[in-house]
Amino acid sequence: MRHDFLDRYSRLDSPIHRLPPAVKLVSALALVLAVVLLPPSRPVFLAAVAVVLLVVAGLSRIPWPALLWRVILLEPFVLGVAILALFQPGGWRLFLILVARSTLCLLTMVLLSNTTPFADLLRVLRAWRMPALLVTTLSLMYRYLFVLVDEAQRMQRARASRTFTPRRRWAWRTMATVVSQLFIRSSERAERIYAAMCARGWR
Amino acid sequence: MSAAIEVRDLRFRYGEGTEALRGVSFSIAEGECVGLIGPNGAGKSTLLLHLNGLLPESLKGESSVFVDGTPVTADTLHEVRRKVGLLFQDANDQLFCPTVFEDVAFGPQQLGLSEAEIRERVTGALARAGIPGFEARAPHHLSVGEKRRVCLAGVLACEPSILVLDEPSSSLDPRGRRELKELLRQIPITKLIATHDLELVVELCSRVIVLDEGSVVAQGPTVELLSDEELMLRHNLEKPHALRHLHPH
Repeated sequence: MRHDFLDRYSRLDSPIHRLPPAVKLVSALALVLAVVLLPPSRPVFLAAVAVVLLVVAGLSRIPWPALLWRVILLEPFVLGVAILALFQPGGWRLFLILVARSTLCLLTMVLLSNTTPFADLLRVLRAWRMPALLVTTLSLMYRYLFVLVDEAQRMQRARASRTFTPRRRWAWRTMATVVSQLFIRSSERAERIYAAMCARGWR
Repeated sequence: MSAAIEVRDLRFRYGEGTEALRGVSFSIAEGECVGLIGPNGAGKSTLLLHLNGLLPESLKGESSVFVDGTPVTADTLHEVRRKVGLLFQDANDQLFCPTVFEDVAFGPQQLGLSEAEIRERVTGALARAGIPGFEARAPHHLSVGEKRRVCLAGVLACEPSILVLDEPSSSLDPRGRRELKELLRQIPITKLIATHDLELVVELCSRVIVLDEGSVVAQGPTVELLSDEELMLRHNLEKPHALRHLHPH
């Protein structure tokens, strides 16, 4: 995973990027709500939402492959749930609608997060008086995702540099060690971060 | 007048049993710049955490640490933390906000300042740290040197009267180190600098404290102490290059 995978496109310059973050957040939420609540008997609605999203995507100047790749990465979660629909009579139709709806919701959120810097979204949430603890947690999560990715990457490299005969069973075992190490390091880091926050007067 | 920092027979043992500090005593006068040196694991970082009351176990019982005469206890924590600005070793621990502005503004916000005052403090602190105009940058996209400066700005924005720095010059390139020394020289407040960078100590600090295995093994004027080759080698240190020659570098 590349370090800038998360927000490589959120600072581009396009009509969509220039919209106020609050407007984008409201529209995205409205679209998601519409997709979820519209009657499933009328697939035309879904098609209309799809067209809107595709126009927005075109205007945003985010490269199509990048957009597609991000949606595909999230798709397994959708399919995992939707597949359950196949086990009931007439499940195919339900399955398709579930997949279509979830994919549209995903596309909306992918577009939102790739056209708006995360810090701006947080500012909107703060302005809307969302609970401070929630906003702080989100902001810390975003910030340390990068540190975590970096750390995982460093450990990966260090491991690779001493792996001379790759064997699958070993690979899995070392993977488990890396994951547990990452967990321990993160919790120790969390303590140090908390200390740093306290040092500057957090209460 | 009471000392800026006074530590009297400070002892600390970590939960898992490591005895990190075994009776440390020293005092730092207002306006002094003091170097804290010693081998890895000597207890330097643990000592610095005490100056901000950051180890909850240490707040129980009688305090051995005094800041401007105030004992560091659970009741005086916020006052002490406002006075003592602490720069952490790992910049990633200290930069926890999504933008530089928010990070530098964190301290002033906790002080309850107004929007305008916060903005003013952030602009001022970034300028003093040598990175004016960095407000909108994302901390995770900065270089190590820039991160270190943002951390420094974050501490300066709280306008502390004492600056405590943990390895401020580690992993900086030579130019970054030189510029950092210049920045620190221009900050006229009391400073305690824990570091392995003995050249920095020679240039900035008038006095040093040598810590080893949790005890102060020597303290005194910088040049005198660091020139004592036997003492330096005994504690995994060395006589800095700058003290070997008389010609200027």
